[in-house]
Amino acid sequence: MADGASLSLTVDLALAGLTVGSAAALSGIGLVVTHRATGVLNLAQGAQAMATAYLLRELVVVQHWPTALAAAFCLLVAAPALGLLLDALVFRPLQRRGAGPAETMVACLGVFVLLIGTVVLLWGTAPLADAPSLVPATPITLPGGHLLRLDTAVQLGVVLGLALLVGAVTRFTGFGARLRAVVDNRRLAELAGVDADRVSAAGWAFGSFTAGLVGVLLAPFLLLDPYGLPLLVMETMAVAVVARLRSLPVAVVTGLALGIAQSELTRLRPGGQLLPLVQSVQVNLFVVALLVAALWGAGRTVGDGGPQAVPGGGRPAASLAGQAARAAGTVLLLLPLGFQGDDLRRALLVPALALVLLSVVVVTGYGGQISLGQAGYAGLGSLGTALLISGRIPGIPALPPVAALLVAVLVTAPLGLLTGWPAIRRSGLALALVTFAVGTAMSRFVFEQPYATNGLTLDRPAFLAGDRAFYTAELLLLGAGLLLVRKLHGGRLGRALTAMRDHQAGAAAAGVDVPRLKLLAFTAGAGLAALGGGLMGLAGRAFDASAFDPVQGLVWFATVVVVGADSAVGAVLAAALLVGLDAGTAPGISAVVVGALAMALGRMPGGLAGVARRAVRWGEPRPVPVPAERLSPAGVRTRERLAERLSGRRRDGVVRR
Amino acid sequence: MNGVAPGRAARLTVRGVVRRFGGIAAVDGVDLVAPPGRITALIGPNGAGKSTLFDCLSGTARPDEGRVLLGGRDITRLPEHVRARLGLARTFQRIAVFPTLTVAENVRVGAERAGGGGSRGSFGYERDGLRTERALALLGLTAVAERPAAGLPTGTLRMLELARALAGAPRVLLLDEPSVGLDAAETVRLAAVLRALAADGLALLLVEHDTELVAELADAVYAMAAGRVVACGPAARVLADPRVGLTWGVAADDG
Repeated sequence: MADGASLSLTVDLALAGLTVGSAAALSGIGLVVTHRATGVLNLAQGAQAMATAYLLRELVVVQHWPTALAAAFCLLVAAPALGLLLDALVFRPLQRRGAGPAETMVACLGVFVLLIGTVVLLWGTAPLADAPSLVPATPITLPGGHLLRLDTAVQLGVVLGLALLVGAVTRFTGFGARLRAVVDNRRLAELAGVDADRVSAAGWAFGSFTAGLVGVLLAPFLLLDPYGLPLLVMETMAVAVVARLRSLPVAVVTGLALGIAQSELTRLRPGGQLLPLVQSVQVNLFVVALLVAALWGAGRTVGDGGPQAVPGGGRPAASLAGQAARAAGTVLLLLPLGFQGDDLRRALLVPALALVLLSVVVVTGYGGQISLGQAGYAGLGSLGTALLISGRIPGIPALPPVAALLVAVLVTAPLGLLTGWPAIRRSGLALALVTFAVGTAMSRFVFEQPYATNGLTLDRPAFLAGDRAFYTAELLLLGAGLLLVRKLHGGRLGRALTAMRDHQAGAAAAGVDVPRLKLLAFTAGAGLAALGGGLMGLAGRAFDASAFDPVQGLVWFATVVVVGADSAVGAVLAAALLVGLDAGTAPGISAVVVGALAMALGRMPGGLAGVARRAVRWGEPRPVPVPAERLSPAGVRTRERLAERLSGRRRDGVVRR
Repeated sequence: MNGVAPGRAARLTVRGVVRRFGGIAAVDGVDLVAPPGRITALIGPNGAGKSTLFDCLSGTARPDEGRVLLGGRDITRLPEHVRARLGLARTFQRIAVFPTLTVAENVRVGAERAGGGGSRGSFGYERDGLRTERALALLGLTAVAERPAAGLPTGTLRMLELARALAGAPRVLLLDEPSVGLDAAETVRLAAVLRALAADGLALLLVEHDTELVAELADAVYAMAAGRVVACGPAARVLADPRVGLTWGVAADDG
């Protein structure tokens, strides 16, 4: 009988797990279809899901539309329209230009950040508990007395129906044939007369529709807030990665299996110390899956072909633009010394954030390694400082704040190997996924634990209790950080790093120890981020896990890339602007600005710093041109004949340029 | 000239190298010697295994069997940058330069990573500077030394790649189709530079499609087909060998 009860419980838990599982499967279908039709791994899917969920809630709860009408509008009109818009404005131009996966990824992050910023701007960050559900949660009794909720059943049906529909369309229709042709070889398909742009547009519309569906279906189970839902959906990328971004059946099965496994894990209740860990694995099984999938296998699935590094603005900074930026940065940093009260308190965030952004400059800008996990290292710095001050680390007495900050930084820096090691053999999108997964795992398994959220003190030392004194100390540390960064960008080491970023194989052939240099970049980056994070904590006198949310890390990454990934001064300016914009106007504005710029990055290589450099160079005398290629006498004659013919035609008005 | 290629001559020896992809041996038991002071050429149709062999020599790929020796030292398992520091330099078929560095900085990266240790401190700094200047002068790049590498014409970039390789004071130089993208005058200049380097004691191994250039330059030629060496010896004899002609003919039929 006991076996029977156990079996019955297993079935019940499996049925409960189908809710999350089918949402994950749905998200996987969207990612796989979008990727097959467009070649893009849609990192913005989570934000699209969240935006659609917010729109539905607005229409139903605030505008009092009937639920069915609102849902039809959101899913069949608004979401696909968003997809088509993104395709036309952002991704098609990138595709035309032959942009590499790194640039496309930054554009995706831009969309992500822009949508989050827009939602924060419109609806604020306060979690909402009244997201409408499309299907009532009426329990249905199955044979054997098991209960299945109606909404779960419908969700499951939608997943299976969509998967079958996509499969049938791909296999049996003309559109499916065109889709397969584009998947196999886009160029060849275009030559054969297939309109690849229409295939891409359809892919984006469908991907956006499924993203919206995921958001609308998941929202009633959660508190709706701008960060939580997108992150949850991003974690389900695990499903698509396991499916190698190709196989729908694998995506569906993996999604459902992970959902069920997550539910079944609730039966494990080991005693004592292990319980919190097991519980967090259970709640965050998708994070574990993403980490595993990204570490084992993503290298072969994603991120092949095209330039992998984030495009930098070029190293030799035009002196005039550089000086202007440095002067502006200095003024912006010194200004708060004259502030009072709340303004000064808000300004405390600027040097700390600048240090975190500098860590992205070192890893991504100088070293060319995509790292979406820097928020994790900042969090480790902050949490480490708090734990050391509170004397919570066994065997170590409570340390004074300054010593605690120092130790936290020194301990976090070598942890940079957590993302540095995977970076040795990965690049581009694969590395992006790994670093994001590591950052998310840190957030979920380290920061959001009871020991980190309860009763930690993070007090400043007496001589830095005043905000002005603390700000001055922050400026000194930022100065030290800038000196370190300068050391990394100049001389022998700087040349080697730039060589590695520009052409990894070429650098190795020239004798540059590429693996060691990557580890060095990640270690230095982790140390800088930890220092910034520790200062953030001391500034606010508390460890705040949400400040180091992985989504926050994506915003920071996009910010640095927008400003110009290899510009240290740019990072300082960006920190001032991020804090200033949100404090001075409405929260969310900074994300909207950063997101919009990131989406447009394809049209301004090198970010804002690159634009500034080119603007200054434009006014300067042009460098002496290299002597033109020497032509043989026959070549010279050919060129003359060609020129004659072209100018003749131009007179006739046939060739116009 | 002196000082660019040092006096420590070394030969590159390949013994029974095999490299498989799945069940297919792309390189199937190749023996080859590139002696110092000589230009050795590797020819063969597409798919003959030249590039795979080249990768095994430069360290991009590891052979499944066999050994690669640099001046008697077994380098089969060493990573690329260590080989480079031991004096094995290479250029790429698809030009590999660092576009955001200036021409001089590009060359300097090669100089600074040369030879183990000893290049720190002011002596090393000066020596690296000197090597950089010499390599720039040798390849006629002094005029563009302060220009960023991005946007320079192909011929100049080929010379830049060569200059970076030479700045590392190599003993053996691997060249992967160095004449691709060069016009007639540039090819003449390249040939002159390569001959001068060989005369200076460097061991040169080049993979090259241009049989005219090979006939003109190479002291010894290895002809590969289907992963094996089908003929080797003096250039004139190998290029006239009917077996070699046959492999090229077959390749032409293939497409």
